[in-house]
Amino acid sequence: MNVSNLLKYCALSIAISSTIVPSANAITPENQLVIGMSMDNLLSLDPASASGLDVVSVNSNLYDMLIELAPKEPSKISPAVAKSWSISEDGNRITFELRDDVIFHSGNKLTAHDVAWSLQRVLKLNLALASTWKTYGFTADNVEQFIQAKDDYTVEISLPEKTDPNLVLYTLGSSPSAFIVDSKEVLKHEKDGDLGHAWLTTNVAGSGPFQLRDWRAKDRVLMTRFDDYWREPSEMKRIVMRHMTESQSLRLMLERGDIDIAMGMSVPDIEALKKDDNIRSEATIRGTLYYVAVSMKDDKFSNKKVREAVRYLIDYKGINDSIMPNYGVLHQRPLKLGLDATLPEPGYALNVQKAKTLLAEAGYPDGFKTSIRVLSQLPFINIATSLQSTLAQAGIDAEIITGTGNQVYGAMRERKFEMLVGRGGGGIEPHPHSSLRSLVYNPDNSDEAKLTNFQGWRTGFYSPEINTIIENALLEKDAQKQIEMYQDVQNIYETQIGAIFPVSQMLDTVLLRTDVKHYEGHQAATTRLREVTKER
Amino acid sequence: MITNSTMKSSSISKSTNANLMMLLKTVGHGCKRIIRNPLTAAGLVVVILLLVIAVFAPWIATHNPLAQQLSNSLQAPSAEHWFGTDEFGRDIFSRLVYGSRITLYIIALVTIIVGPIGLAIGTISGYFGGIIDTVFMRITDIFISFPGLVLALAFVAALGPGLEHAVIAIALTTWPPIARLARAETLQLRKADYIVAVQLQGASATRIIFRHIVPMCLSSVIVRLTMNMAGIILTAAGLGFLGLGAQAPLPEWGAMISTGRSYMLENWWLVAAPGAAIMLVSLAFNLLGDGLRDLLDPRN
Amino acid sequence: MLTFQLSNKRFKHFFGGLSSVAITLLGLLALTFFIGRVMPIDPVLSVVGPDADNSTYEQVYKEMGLDKPLYTQYLYYLNDIAHGDFGNALLTGRPVIEDIARVFPATLELATVAIIFGIVIGIPLGVYAAVNKGRAVDHIIRVISLFGYSTPVFWVGMIGLIIFYAWLNVVGGSGRVDLAYDGFVDPVTGMLLIDSALARDWDVFQSAIKHIILPAFILGLNAVSFITRMTRSFMLEQLSQEYILTAQVKGLPKRVVIWRHAFRNILVQLLTIITLSYGSLLEGAVLIETVFAWPGFGQYLTSSLLLGDMNAVVASILLIGLIFISLNLLTDLLYRVFDPRTRK
Repeated sequence: MNVSNLLKYCALSIAISSTIVPSANAITPENQLVIGMSMDNLLSLDPASASGLDVVSVNSNLYDMLIELAPKEPSKISPAVAKSWSISEDGNRITFELRDDVIFHSGNKLTAHDVAWSLQRVLKLNLALASTWKTYGFTADNVEQFIQAKDDYTVEISLPEKTDPNLVLYTLGSSPSAFIVDSKEVLKHEKDGDLGHAWLTTNVAGSGPFQLRDWRAKDRVLMTRFDDYWREPSEMKRIVMRHMTESQSLRLMLERGDIDIAMGMSVPDIEALKKDDNIRSEATIRGTLYYVAVSMKDDKFSNKKVREAVRYLIDYKGINDSIMPNYGVLHQRPLKLGLDATLPEPGYALNVQKAKTLLAEAGYPDGFKTSIRVLSQLPFINIATSLQSTLAQAGIDAEIITGTGNQVYGAMRERKFEMLVGRGGGGIEPHPHSSLRSLVYNPDNSDEAKLTNFQGWRTGFYSPEINTIIENALLEKDAQKQIEMYQDVQNIYETQIGAIFPVSQMLDTVLLRTDVKHYEGHQAATTRLREVTKER
Repeated sequence: MITNSTMKSSSISKSTNANLMMLLKTVGHGCKRIIRNPLTAAGLVVVILLLVIAVFAPWIATHNPLAQQLSNSLQAPSAEHWFGTDEFGRDIFSRLVYGSRITLYIIALVTIIVGPIGLAIGTISGYFGGIIDTVFMRITDIFISFPGLVLALAFVAALGPGLEHAVIAIALTTWPPIARLARAETLQLRKADYIVAVQLQGASATRIIFRHIVPMCLSSVIVRLTMNMAGIILTAAGLGFLGLGAQAPLPEWGAMISTGRSYMLENWWLVAAPGAAIMLVSLAFNLLGDGLRDLLDPRN
Repeated sequence: MLTFQLSNKRFKHFFGGLSSVAITLLGLLALTFFIGRVMPIDPVLSVVGPDADNSTYEQVYKEMGLDKPLYTQYLYYLNDIAHGDFGNALLTGRPVIEDIARVFPATLELATVAIIFGIVIGIPLGVYAAVNKGRAVDHIIRVISLFGYSTPVFWVGMIGLIIFYAWLNVVGGSGRVDLAYDGFVDPVTGMLLIDSALARDWDVFQSAIKHIILPAFILGLNAVSFITRMTRSFMLEQLSQEYILTAQVKGLPKRVVIWRHAFRNILVQLLTIITLSYGSLLEGAVLIETVFAWPGFGQYLTSSLLLGDMNAVVASILLIGLIFISLNLLTDLLYRVFDPRTRK
């Protein structure tokens, strides 16, 4: 063998590989919808235990809810399985009248008993999604008494504690725990009294427009059309959701037409795709906020002047202009955007000089050392990097500690952190209480209380004044008065300088091939694909 | 192979000084031969260059590697920014230059940890044999049967991400081959006449191991370490890529690729430069190690 | 008689090997288990999510048995494993064994195609370098093979995707097949190339080939280097033997001398080398699978690790350890059986 032989050999192998690899022309079939998205948080499909937004976008197509919230105007409630509902005079009871033509994928009829059983199940299992219901006063012991099927098509929910019944309705129209499960089918698969939890983790017993054909964690979800759906059956025969975290892969495949819809892409790729004629983008505001949090269990940050200095050391404009486009929009209030009660932006801005003065007054003229915990993902890590460099200008030397969601929020739950860049605010319900409950409310600041589901407790921000207003506002029946009370909370939060500094309201930007029509991103993440069509 | 080294050892003087002299002589002699092989020389030049860049980083870098300028982000390579700027407007060339310090830091630290540990375990195990040998070699087997990156991954996950933890994790994965090598050498030396002679004189085991066996194993261990360095660089970069190595804002090359990849389709320079740097440096270490091995290979 | 004695010895060695394998595996198990328990990753949070309240947290904490002392947990775990129960994975809610049986074929397929690249490219290069020892070609091949050792595979993978998928459009993108074909073929072996061929679904087969070719090639780079270098040094040893000189003196054509005589004699050595590098491909797969979104074993292991899903991690690492050890034993055995020099 000599050089020319070697070259021949190489040429031959290239020739062979190019003949068996003809150019790709993979355009997705007309009756299939292919979606690329991250399924990092999709660990369980069980409506009682699923947490995170990923699962809602899957389950919304497999299950039905009693009522639905309008995608772009979530405070508008429309009927679904419940054709009508009424709130009792005293606001303590909600009664739902159900349709009688809904059937589950198993062929069983959907009745009021399934509805009551599904909700009771959430509390009895006491997993991730029981939390919201427990704040309304439901417990595993009392739920059978408070949530009942009156007859086959009437469900009655009584409220154990006084609260705003609208808030409960919003929960029923948006929480991942509000999906109605086929009780007969599930009980067939019950093991050791687990109410079918093990089975429902990987299986679905719903009545939604699609049936689950196959789910592999962190790989893909396959759904096929359910032909006996009570609404018009979908035009799509199959939906493929593929776990993809690499933004550039998503982009390449979307450009190529290998996928129809891409979620969770990075900003540069989104910007580049916006120039493509075959692709359009759709941004939906979400209820959660990107924020910088400090722990008031830490001596430095329990000092109000230091917290005020931090407020001046966040480059809100820089972050929102260069990091957040397509991820979020500038927002600095603990209430989400778009609610009547939300006050105009307070106009916080980076001001190093002022921050230095405040730090000196607080006794830290030369700054201090601290650490920032953050998720190792875009855009979190970039916000933290920007924060690190602005803090440094005032002499604060912050070390960045990255981690998975588990590690970052785990440290926060144990109150073992100093600073943190995160996202939260619970808040799928379009109601001021839902934001405040998760970000600000903290009825008991002691370590033993372990109110780990409240970010107010996690950060150690405790304001009895604010707590009282939040509790009273929920019971206020006069809408205008209620709004004023929520505005008071924001003003007090501003002067007391809470431990959480909102930076942006989350924006979910989805990219679609232009031939995909009738896709409507939902503010509460319950995006329903049943009406999606393709026009070519 | 066996006859070869017994011959070598019996002809060597018993005193450590002479051993050291011998080693120095080999090194000196080796240097000459290294220069004769162009590939090895090229490797050596790049490695020296890396050292120079790392030492004189503040003078070579054109910008502050950490200074952010958001208005100047994602600039293509130009006269002002030779390798362009990243998503925070930081100068990539300067980050690469400072990144060489991190790379060297990792290599040096791992080598310092791994060399002594590997030597100690290997020589003790080989010298004493029996139960000690069995126990040590079982432990070595356990670590060897993990694939390096997976073990490093597990350790970093256990310790938390960070540069120091990455170093410890990599060290844990690289000592077993060194220990095995040292043990093999020791097994051959143990029966050599001069060791037996020292034993008869009543020298303690510690003394024999440290003064007579370790110096003899040193040269092959050093070659092996050099050949390992490329692997260390790649593992460190892999950990950085997975977000488990050096943390922001440190300009570690693997981490630079990891963050740069979100921008790579428009802004290729974000990943091209650090990737090329990793490749060049590990190639250089491989060339050097390869050349050194040839030198010590008795067949040449 | 002689053969009997020999095989007896071989068996003894083999069983000695087996007992040391058992010890090694136990050690591996303990090591992984304790790494898992000291990890600052809270598996409970993986289950309940970041916003669950404390009563839920405590309930799940107890259900997972985390309130018991470490050694008790370990003993329970050992007991379960002894009964063949590796537990359920948090990530999927299914038995770990089932999961591994599902993801492992994807990696095996990738590694197999990679090793084919390694053999097809590495052996000719190695032979060629040996024949031309010391000439320019030899040096070039040496540099090429060292490149294979020096490339960060994740980087080459990313660059490769851009060039061959985005620009040239000759290979498929991420994943094992085009998404539209996903789930068309029912898994029999779990290896898509084989499954689609069995089902005679040539569209899927073609799509699968387009998807596997790039990641497998890049994964195979390391194997190419290793095989090239080893082939070269084995061949050099053979070519310096006397019988080769004799054959050449006899006037046999060079090609015949190289391939029929020298090459045939290094086959056993090559086989052991290939077996060994097969094992190390599993390691490279961790990074390649991340870049190419390949739903294989490497990705499974990484994501379980980051979730604190220890059932999955321990079982995976045990499997890798087992594969490594058995490959080592296999090469050992191959040598003992076939190589005349180690028979004595």
